[in-house]
Amino acid sequence: MKNKAPYILLTPGLILLIVFMLLPLVTIIWPTFYDGKLTFGSYLSFFQNQYNVSVFWRTLSISLIVTMICILLGVPTAYYIARTSKKWRGLLMAMTLFPLLTNSVIRSFAWINILGTKGVINDLLMNVGVISEPIKMLYTDFAIIVGSVYLFLPLMIITLVGVIENIDLEMMEAAETLGANRFIAFLKVILPLSVPGIIVGSVLVFSGTLSAYTTPQLLGGNQKMMLSTFLYQNAMTLGNWQSAGVIAVIMIVTTIIVMKLFNMVAAKLDKRGGEHA
Amino acid sequence: MRKHRGLSIIAMLVFAFLFIPLFIIVVTSFGENPTIQFPIQGFTFDWYVNVFETNSLIESFYLSIQISLLATILALLVGIPAAYALARYSVKGRNIMKSFFLSPAMIPGVVIGYALFQFIVIQLQLPIFQGLLLGHFLISLPYIIRVVGSSLDQLDFSIEEVAWTLGSTRLRAFVRVVLPNIQAGIFASFMLAFINSFNNIPVSQFLSGPGVTALPTSLMNYIEYNYDPTVSALSVLLMVGTVVLMFIIEKTLGLAKIS
Amino acid sequence: MTYVDLKDIRVSYDGKNNILKDLNLSIEKGELVSLLGPSGCGKTTTLRVIAGLIEPNDGAFVVDNKNLTRVPVHKRNFGMVFQSYALFPHLTVKENIGFGLKLRKEDKTTMNQKIQDILDVTGLGELGDRYPKQLSGGQRQRVALARALVIEPKLLLLDEPLSNLDAKLRVQMRIEIKRIQQKLGITSVFVTHDQEECFSISDRVAVMNNGVIEQFDKPEEIYNRPKTEFVARFIGFENFINLTKQGEQTYTTSEGHVLKTGHRWEDGKQVATIRPDDIVILPNGAEQRTNVIPGKVVVRTFLGKSYQYEVDTTVGKILVNGSKETAYPSGEELLLYFPEEKLILV
Repeated sequence: MKNKAPYILLTPGLILLIVFMLLPLVTIIWPTFYDGKLTFGSYLSFFQNQYNVSVFWRTLSISLIVTMICILLGVPTAYYIARTSKKWRGLLMAMTLFPLLTNSVIRSFAWINILGTKGVINDLLMNVGVISEPIKMLYTDFAIIVGSVYLFLPLMIITLVGVIENIDLEMMEAAETLGANRFIAFLKVILPLSVPGIIVGSVLVFSGTLSAYTTPQLLGGNQKMMLSTFLYQNAMTLGNWQSAGVIAVIMIVTTIIVMKLFNMVAAKLDKRGGEHA
Repeated sequence: MRKHRGLSIIAMLVFAFLFIPLFIIVVTSFGENPTIQFPIQGFTFDWYVNVFETNSLIESFYLSIQISLLATILALLVGIPAAYALARYSVKGRNIMKSFFLSPAMIPGVVIGYALFQFIVIQLQLPIFQGLLLGHFLISLPYIIRVVGSSLDQLDFSIEEVAWTLGSTRLRAFVRVVLPNIQAGIFASFMLAFINSFNNIPVSQFLSGPGVTALPTSLMNYIEYNYDPTVSALSVLLMVGTVVLMFIIEKTLGLAKIS
Repeated sequence: MTYVDLKDIRVSYDGKNNILKDLNLSIEKGELVSLLGPSGCGKTTTLRVIAGLIEPNDGAFVVDNKNLTRVPVHKRNFGMVFQSYALFPHLTVKENIGFGLKLRKEDKTTMNQKIQDILDVTGLGELGDRYPKQLSGGQRQRVALARALVIEPKLLLLDEPLSNLDAKLRVQMRIEIKRIQQKLGITSVFVTHDQEECFSISDRVAVMNNGVIEQFDKPEEIYNRPKTEFVARFIGFENFINLTKQGEQTYTTSEGHVLKTGHRWEDGKQVATIRPDDIVILPNGAEQRTNVIPGKVVVRTFLGKSYQYEVDTTVGKILVNGSKETAYPSGEELLLYFPEEKLILV
C-alpha cells in the first residue's frame, strides 16, 4: 500500500505529459528522421541552404550578445540592489520584477515606438538636425538585440540579486581590512562568488533569447528571422511541416547543448573544492 | 550604505532603460493623433474608449482569463499531488521524474505550440480551445512543481506523521496539516503560472482560430494591422493590472516569494 | 604609554539613538584588551569603529599619535578576525592568506616565505592547498587568524572569534590565540560575551553596557571588585541587598540586620552584593551576630561541586552554595554569614 501511493499521485501528471507533450513532440520530430528509412537527409539539406544557416547563426550570435550585455549591465545593478538598505531593496526588486510580469508584446511594442522610422529617436535626431533621413533601426539585428536585452535583463538581475544577497557581507569587509579598496574587493571577492548566479542567469537569458518569439517577430519581422519566427513561418505560412520539424529539433538540441556548456564552464570556474575531505 | 558612485550611475541608467520605454507608452496612450507619436499633441481618453469598443480585444481578454485560470487550476490539481509524491517518497527515478515534470519549461515555447498544433488540431482534429488549454497547462505545470515542490522540501513531514498518530487518515492529514503549511507556495505558484500563462505568446500563436484567440495574439495582430494608440491604451490597462496583481502578492506573500 | 586611543566616540545610525555614547578607551602597546558585554551593548560597534568599517559621528580615533578617524579601512593595516571567519570560499588556504600580501605587491619568494611561516606559527602546516570547505571549524579559525596576522598589522581585532567552536576547542584556541599574540607582541582588541573566555585571555577588560564602558580594569580586579551593579550581575554576583548607612563601614538592612564591609562607602552606593560561593552557612546555635541573616531553604539544586540553595530571607531570595557533605532539605532554617571582605558595595 505504502509503495503504491506515490505512483497513484504521479500518474495523472505523467499521463498528461506523455500524451500531450511527448507524443506531440514525437509526431513532429519522427518525420524529420524517417522517410521510409532512418535518415539525416532533412538536416543535411537544411544546413546546405545558405539562408537557413544565416538564420541559425543570427539566432546563436544574437543570443550570445544579449547574454553578454545582460551580464555586463546585470552584475553591477544586482550588486547595487543587494547592497541597498532593506527598505529600498524591496522597491527596487519590485521595479525589476514589474517589466518581467508585463506582457512581452507590450515590451516589444515599446521599442517599435522608439526605434521606428517615425519613432522617438528618429524624431529627435531629425528635429535637432543631426540627420535628414530617418535611420533604419527597426527590423534590424540591433532592434532584436535591444528588445531582447530589454526582455531578459530583469531576469538576470533578479537571479543575481538572490546570489549576491547570500554572499556574506563580512567577506567584503575582510577583503577591505586586508587592504583592498571597494572596487578591488568587488573584483576579487564578490565577482568570483557570483559566478554560479551569472551562469544560472546566462542560461536563462541565452535560452530565453534563443526561443523568444514575440521580440524577433515584432522587432525583426520577416527581414531578420530568428529560429523561432522561422519555425512559425515554415509551419503556418509556408506549410512546410518538414522544415518546421527540423527547426524544432535544432532549437531543442541547441538549448540542451548550450545548457551543458554553461554547466561545464560553471564546474570549471566554481573550484571551491568538495565537501569536507 | 557603503556603495560606489560609479555603481549607482550604472544602476540608475539600467532603471532608466527599463522604465523610459514603458513611460513612453503611457504618454502616447493619451495623444490625439491617430498614429503613435511622442511627444503627443492634445490629450484624449478616446483610445481607452476604443479598447472597450474593439470586440476582438475584449473577447480575447475574456478568453485569455478563462484559459489561464482553467489551465492553472488543472496544473494545480495535477501538480500538487505529483510534487508531494516527489518530495515525500523516495520514488525510483525521482530526479528523472522531476526533470520530466519540469521539462515543458525547457522546451522552446514555439516547439510546444507547433507540436500541439500538429497533434491536436491536425491529427486528432480536436477543437482549438482544447489545444490552447492543454498548451497552457503545459506552460503552468513546471511553476507548480518547482514552487510547491520547494515549499514541500522545506516542510518537516513529522507534522504529518503526528497527525497520523493522533488518528487522522492520510487524506485528512494531507488536507488539514500539509496543505495549510504550503499554502503560501501554492498561492505563489498559482500567481506565477497564471501571469505567465496569461502573457504567453509562442504557444497561443499556433493555437488560435476563429473566436479562439488569446489576448497577446490579438494584440500582436492588432499592432501589425493598425498601429494606433489603442495598443498603448490597452498596454497601460494591462500594466495597471500587473501593478494590482503585484500589490496583492506583496500584501499577501511578499514579492520576494515569486522572484 | 597609550598606543590606541578612542576619544569621545559617538555612533548613531538614525541620528536619534546613540549606539556608542562618548566612549573613551586607551590601550597600551602589546596589550590584549577585551570588550565584554551582552549583545547590543556596543562592543562590536566599537570594534568596527576601530577597524574603520563604521565612521563615528563624533570623536577621534588615534593610533601611535596618528589620527586615523577618517582613514578608510583598507589603508589602516589592521588585521581582523570575523565571527564568521569570512574566509574566501573560492580561494585555497594559501590564497586566502596571501590575499593581503598580493595587494601589498610583495615579491613571490617573500610572499611564499611569509605564508609558510604563518602556516607554521598557526599550526596549519600541510593544509595550504585545501579550500575552506574542506577544513574543520578549528582549522578555519586558524586560517582566519593567519590571514589577519600575515600582513603584520599594527592592531589585531577579533570579533567573537571563538563563538562558533565547540566548548573544548574554544578553550584550546583561546590559549593558542594568547600564545601567538604574546609571541608576536601584537596589540589586540578582543570582543566577546563570554566572561570566562575574556578573563582567561585578557590583560585588561572593558565591560560595556548601553554604549558606555562601565569598568575598565585588570580581569582580577573586575572579578573581585566590580564597580557597578551591572558589572557585578554580568560576572556572576547573584545576591543584591539594599542597605542604609549607619556609620563608617557599618550598614543595616531594611529589617535591621547589621552588615559590615571591608569596602569603602562611596556616595550614591547603597547596594551590597556577594557571590553565592562566598556566603557561609553557619551551624545552628553559632554565636556570630553581625553580618548574619537567617532564612529558610526553598529549593536545593545539585551543581556537581556543591549544592545551591535558594534561601528565603527578610532581605529577599538569596542564592547560597554549600558544601556537598551536607544536603539541607527544603524548609530547613539556616543562618547565612556574609564575610566582611567578600561583601562588596556597588
